[in-house]
Amino acid sequence: MNLLFRPKHNTLAQISLFLVAAGAVGVPGGLMLYARTPYARQMQEPIEQPIQFDHRHHTRDEGIDCRYCHNTVDKSPSASIPPTQLCLNCHSQIWNKSPILEKVRESFIQNKPIEWRRVTKVAEFAYFNHSIHVNKGVGCVSCHGRVDQMAAVEKEEPLTMGFCLDCHRHPEKNLRPVSEVVNMDWKPEGDPEETGRRLLVENDVHTRTSCTTCHR
Amino acid sequence: MAAPEPAILPNDPLEPIPLIEGKHTDRTINDSLFDHVWRGPGKGWWMLFGCALSALGLLVIAITYTLYKGIGSWGNNIPVGWAFGIINFVWWIGIGHAGTLISAILLLFQQKWRTSINRFAEAMTLFAVICALLFPLLHTGRPWFAAYWLMPYPSVHRIWPQFKSPLTWDVFAVSTYFTISLLFWFLGLVPDLAALRDSSKSPTKRLIYGIFAMGWRGSGRHWAEYKWAYLLLAGLSTPLVLSVHTIVSFDFAVSVLPGWHTTIFPPYFVAGAVFSGFAMVLTWMLPAREFLGLKHVVTPKHLENMAKVMLVTGMMVTYGYVMEHFIAWYSGSEYEYSQFFRVRQHGPLAPIYWLMVTCNCVVPQLFWSKRCRTNLWVLWVASILINVGMWCERFTIVVISLHRDFLPSSWKNYSPTWVDITLFIGTIGLFSTLFLLFLKFVPAVAVTEVKELRHELAHDPTAEPAGETH
Amino acid sequence: MSCDESQEKAKAEREERKGKRSLPIFGGAAQKNVDLEPRGVWRSMDERAGVLPSSAKGEFPAGASELEGVSRRGFMQVLGVSTAVATLGAACQKPNEKIVPFVRRPEEMTPGNAMHFATGYALEGYTSGLLVESHIGHPTKVEGNPSHPDTLGATTAFEQALILGLYDDDRAKQIRRSDKPIAWTTFLSETRARCLGFAGNGGAGLRFLTGPTTSPLLADLRRRILERFPRAKFVSYASVAGDGAVDGAKLAFGKPLVARNRLTQASVILSLDADFLNDGPEQTRLSREFSGRREPTRDMNRLYVVEPAMTVTGMTADHRLRLRGGDVPAFTAALCAMLAPKLPGLGALGTLAQGAPAWDQKWLSAVAADLERNRGRCLVVAGRRQPAVVHALVAALNSALENIGKTVEYGAPLTTDTNSGPEALRGLVEEIAAGVVETLVITADNPVYGGPVDFKLAQLFKRVPNVIYTALYEDETAGGCNYFIPAAHSLESWGDGRASDGVVTVIQPLIDPLWGGKTEADVLAAFVNEGDQGTHALLQKYWGSEAKLATAKGGAAFAAFDAVWERWLADGVVPDTGAGAEAGATINAQALAQAAGPLLAREGAARGNGIEVAFAPDPKVFDGRFANNAWLQELPQPVTKLTWDNAILLSPATAEKLSIETGDWLTVSIKQRAVDGPAMIVPGHADEAITLPLGYGRERTGHIGAQVGFNANAIRTSEAPWFDRGATVSVTGSKYRFAITQDHWTMAPDGREIPPPAVAAPLSEVLNPHSTLNEELEGRRGPQPYIHQPWDYSKQQYKWGMAIDLNKCTGCSACIVACQSENNIPVVGKDNTWRGREMHWLRVDRYFEGSPADPLVVTQPLGCVQCETAPCEYVCPVNATVHSDEGLNEMVYNRCIGTRYCSNNCPYKVRRFNFLNYTNDVSPARQMGMNPDVTVRSRGVMEKCTYCVQRIERKRIETRIQGRAIADGELLTACQQGCPTQAIVFGSLQDPSAKVSKAHADPRRYDLLHELATRPRTAYLARVRNLNPELAKVD
Repeated sequence: MNLLFRPKHNTLAQISLFLVAAGAVGVPGGLMLYARTPYARQMQEPIEQPIQFDHRHHTRDEGIDCRYCHNTVDKSPSASIPPTQLCLNCHSQIWNKSPILEKVRESFIQNKPIEWRRVTKVAEFAYFNHSIHVNKGVGCVSCHGRVDQMAAVEKEEPLTMGFCLDCHRHPEKNLRPVSEVVNMDWKPEGDPEETGRRLLVENDVHTRTSCTTCHR
Repeated sequence: MAAPEPAILPNDPLEPIPLIEGKHTDRTINDSLFDHVWRGPGKGWWMLFGCALSALGLLVIAITYTLYKGIGSWGNNIPVGWAFGIINFVWWIGIGHAGTLISAILLLFQQKWRTSINRFAEAMTLFAVICALLFPLLHTGRPWFAAYWLMPYPSVHRIWPQFKSPLTWDVFAVSTYFTISLLFWFLGLVPDLAALRDSSKSPTKRLIYGIFAMGWRGSGRHWAEYKWAYLLLAGLSTPLVLSVHTIVSFDFAVSVLPGWHTTIFPPYFVAGAVFSGFAMVLTWMLPAREFLGLKHVVTPKHLENMAKVMLVTGMMVTYGYVMEHFIAWYSGSEYEYSQFFRVRQHGPLAPIYWLMVTCNCVVPQLFWSKRCRTNLWVLWVASILINVGMWCERFTIVVISLHRDFLPSSWKNYSPTWVDITLFIGTIGLFSTLFLLFLKFVPAVAVTEVKELRHELAHDPTAEPAGETH
Repeated sequence: MSCDESQEKAKAEREERKGKRSLPIFGGAAQKNVDLEPRGVWRSMDERAGVLPSSAKGEFPAGASELEGVSRRGFMQVLGVSTAVATLGAACQKPNEKIVPFVRRPEEMTPGNAMHFATGYALEGYTSGLLVESHIGHPTKVEGNPSHPDTLGATTAFEQALILGLYDDDRAKQIRRSDKPIAWTTFLSETRARCLGFAGNGGAGLRFLTGPTTSPLLADLRRRILERFPRAKFVSYASVAGDGAVDGAKLAFGKPLVARNRLTQASVILSLDADFLNDGPEQTRLSREFSGRREPTRDMNRLYVVEPAMTVTGMTADHRLRLRGGDVPAFTAALCAMLAPKLPGLGALGTLAQGAPAWDQKWLSAVAADLERNRGRCLVVAGRRQPAVVHALVAALNSALENIGKTVEYGAPLTTDTNSGPEALRGLVEEIAAGVVETLVITADNPVYGGPVDFKLAQLFKRVPNVIYTALYEDETAGGCNYFIPAAHSLESWGDGRASDGVVTVIQPLIDPLWGGKTEADVLAAFVNEGDQGTHALLQKYWGSEAKLATAKGGAAFAAFDAVWERWLADGVVPDTGAGAEAGATINAQALAQAAGPLLAREGAARGNGIEVAFAPDPKVFDGRFANNAWLQELPQPVTKLTWDNAILLSPATAEKLSIETGDWLTVSIKQRAVDGPAMIVPGHADEAITLPLGYGRERTGHIGAQVGFNANAIRTSEAPWFDRGATVSVTGSKYRFAITQDHWTMAPDGREIPPPAVAAPLSEVLNPHSTLNEELEGRRGPQPYIHQPWDYSKQQYKWGMAIDLNKCTGCSACIVACQSENNIPVVGKDNTWRGREMHWLRVDRYFEGSPADPLVVTQPLGCVQCETAPCEYVCPVNATVHSDEGLNEMVYNRCIGTRYCSNNCPYKVRRFNFLNYTNDVSPARQMGMNPDVTVRSRGVMEKCTYCVQRIERKRIETRIQGRAIADGELLTACQQGCPTQAIVFGSLQDPSAKVSKAHADPRRYDLLHELATRPRTAYLARVRNLNPELAKVD
């Protein structure tokens, strides 16, 4: 009777065996790598906003303090997006004819909120609190990146639990004098390690890593 | 099903019962044992398969419903956090034990009588473990997370599974057990698959069997490596027989709950497992032996030996119960005492407890008598009763312990829902389906080994009378 | 969780916003800017998506971020762990979430931080002071107002449950004329027209049926209406009114007065069928005063209770006499007789006793002696259900015992109508029958349901051409009326009212009426053509003029009204409005004796024989007005632990006599009327008597309360509103299934000799340091040997701990509802409760001691005790429950996979599991009331008490920013804050001077299940029974 299998089938068998083994290792590994890519984390993607608001202009050129608009950042969990009213504090005077600001005036007159698009998001069950971070000398830049250099704001840090834990376990890396929290260009003078340890004491920082610090 | 008439005992009691009845050649053995594979599925088979499939359908329904509604569709509550899910899990895992024990341990002890039943038992091990494996995931509140949070991998949120928890141990224990059993079973199949390949008429069958036979040619080298690998796997799975159910028993023994919190669990869980495993093998083998014409290879000798094993393990289990109660009294812990002497014996669920005692402690006593050991009806009914008893044991341990614990204020009663019951029936359906398919596609008895045995018996006069077990 | 689902959610939220477009935030902000921009405020909800559970599913917000960020989603997607999640991953790869800020943000408001507003809630007309927490315009939690004389910072279960009532989607939403929806303005114009009609006959056909009220504004409106329509009449009716008190005072003092009790001075208290710790307007204050005297080392008080059925007060008693309600008058007379020789003040009252005593004379004499020994330091209280004569005699007793002015004072009634019982209603009923009533305005609470059955109000109202009714729900009464006006919820309305001691509280709304409800004032104002002004304006106008008057009288406080008004709102009380005792109220014992004689005789006759039927206000739904409140329906009844039902309560002996078992379906018939209901055997119930709790068997209300339990009003007549005799009880044969959360009554059923979970001991034992009790307690605290090296907490700044004083706990269960409200705890419904799946993080265990016939009770609140060596922690395979450095046993919901192993291994069984998705049908309105600081748990997740960790963390951040430590007492758990008796203490054990540390050092301290070496952080203080030596063996 004719042969059922020929020698080449051995190779076939061996290859398939190898593929199975490779897949077993490769697929999870690949996923882990993928999960760590900026793409999967939606980083480095400038988000178009309904109104063409340029942080570069407001912070750098005009030198407006972050806390002028995000004015609950130091006393509340949420930094809060400024109410339309606040935009018009200035823009009722300057550029009050500018077509770019049409939507803003409209919103104020028709009493219709501006719907901004969220850029940085923490999961609902993670209770992040801006005020404590700002008051203990964690700069805006540490989590939000160089917003003063972004035409349209984008997510700069992964903001995963790992990211939070890194800092909560070794806060000194991201500490600065409380006066400098909004300063985007601040650099520790002298040995960063040393400064960090000093600020740890000065700002009286006691980071916590128990689960209920964020999850309740 | 139709009644297999009792095996005729040899008139002269001194004449030993052979391991292979009648005079056979390799060919006759081949033909007789492959017969049920080549013979097309008969009416009886289709009927059974139909029942099995519909039961399987129930399983699918129950599982879908559970996933859709949540664990609330079961009867569980606080304090009875575990019930049917875990009971079935432990029960099936236990049943899985016979296979590995027969194939591995008896092999290492060179028990000849294992040959014609090991394939059978191993297959059942496999299917039982498959049934068991449904539950660890299914019984969690959010299986989709359980599925991969129990998988230790460097996740982005820097948390690993907790290795202090017996449930984590379970994951590893059971999956290892499954893998090894699968390999062991498959390896044993290879020569038979080859034989099937060569003896099959249609090319497709030949191709399929051929692929699974993995180019087995039966050369001396093949045999040498085969033997070696087989022994190795046997060695590997021997500790598993003990480890798996030991670890399953830790799920309970590690806790603080009266009725769970005890050190005797590991040994008596293993004993219980073997006990129920053999019972299940008998439950299926008796009819199979009848209808697949395996009488000449599965002789009363085998059945009797299995009955003896059940007697021994049954006694071990009984001893376990006795010790539990003794310690409950001896420890002086009122909670323990109350659990064992009040709740179990007089509580609202006491009937289950007493059913357990009857089936697991009283029934096996029959096997002191050779008559019972060799009477097929007695064996068959007893084996079923023992399966029931072992299920009741798990119910007693899980539910009865939980529903009356420390603070009377938190006591609640338990009653299962239709989903619970459907799930249980469903797993039996799954098991039967797989088993019936198994009978259709591969020989239920390790043909090569039987032939081997025949040669041994033929050429080794000292081996007669064959099958002395002790 | 699939993409569609997330879209559904988005839709739900959109609708939610649409639905609530017209929702101004109110309260503090409202003062300056009443119609503050609605949409801006409402929309701003989303601004805090990170803080607020943006949907009821909480863990499943739009775009499956519940998978902890995108990276995880990436995993799920490719792993395809579940197709659902996979599709989600694919489709929602780039969630496009909106942030919707204010247009104009009110300056008081900091998005992300809560605001608190003082307001009040009127039950039975008396107004308690509340402090309500509000997040961006949504009230989320009710607390007591610490500066209010009657609530003292605590609350009742009713008040805690207000939040759920406010957001109840079943509330009436549409003004209608018969079935036709009409606008408020339409109603106003039609009323104006109708009023013109009345002008001719001075409103001869105009009648008002109101509930009892103390509101000055309503009183003023009434005055003006009567000015305009001199022949109109006001009648007040309440289903559970206690007219006996006022009439009794009439008998005793010759004028209507009400008793105001003060327990601070009372060393011996005798309650005659009075559940003063859990019923009536004084309950919160009395509970506090009572517990203040429960310190065993500091002159502890002694409580005697005489009552037919076990109540919260009865559970707290040191000595309890079960006595049928109808026998209490005779008992009181006998008490007078017993005391008369020693108390000349009683005079002829000593001669009233008659008939053979139905009680143990030894008990009576012992009590009498005890009272007599404590002249001026004791108190006799009579319950609302008792007839006038009892109250009169009690007044006489208190006066003779020199208690008046010390432990009780009698003052003029504060309610506009002194009486609001059946007798008050009778007049109106006759008028209607006579057909003189042309227009009937009903603001009373659901009279058709709660009214005496013999008045047949449903039919009567049909004979009135024009019935105007306002209520929260389309209820039984709403059925028959031509005009129905949805009432505004207390938290939605402006108003005012007085506390039991007269102090005025201005009720301010926390939110604009969700469904355009109107206040009682609005409705009444319509009859003086001011219905369009709004209660806020009316209120300011009224108090403004009051202010002028006062200023005219030279009251400095009322100068500069606006500033004053602001302060009233901020404080929640109007200063100097307390009502004093009536001057020169004296008792003429002889006259009283004359009058009392025949009355007692009548009571005696009425007593007759046969089984007594007693009606009782329900501690959960009161008179039925809370029937649609799921929190209260599922709250275990303090004594029976029954949920979602009422039951015919009877004693074991009676049950045996009638061969009845718990769950038997009975028919109770009396005077040709019958009602069916399930029987429940309760220890400590009087024999030959049954108790029917009111408030259930509602025909028409929301979907929660309808058809729950049976309606006891069906056999409740105007002659016998509380007690009646000669009932026949027959067993129908069918069985009924109760949902009871604790069906094992004793501490050690089936004779276990376990250390009792809740310890109670006589005072003598407690005070003697060498008593066996103290030795036992000694053995039940302190560290146990443990296999591991215990964690070292010495480095920590805080070490959270709790102590619960069983001697102060009355079992009122307000803490349970407080916890439920604070922690977004779902309701599971009757079936799931029956299965044993109730979700209450905090439960109150109730244990009976002694004979089932006549037991004493201990109640034991039990939440997670935060074991230092927690059995739940090491069995969790995924680290979802772990220990914090400060000793909290943390529960991480988003990590939990729901193996339930932790619960199995918890010796206290205080963990709760979401067996089903209990939050998926939460209405958008209800979502507004969720506490944004607590994750809403999804299906398949374990949950439990964490000492209100969200409050800890908030307070921690607040204080860390201020650079200081959390002071003792500034951080309260929800249960602690709600507790009227301050039985619960919480704080840091690291601070030796902290209250909780002191409690942990108390000689009465013991640990529950101490032998298990779990090292619980919650310690219990043994209950003390201040037994009367002469009776010591009665129990």
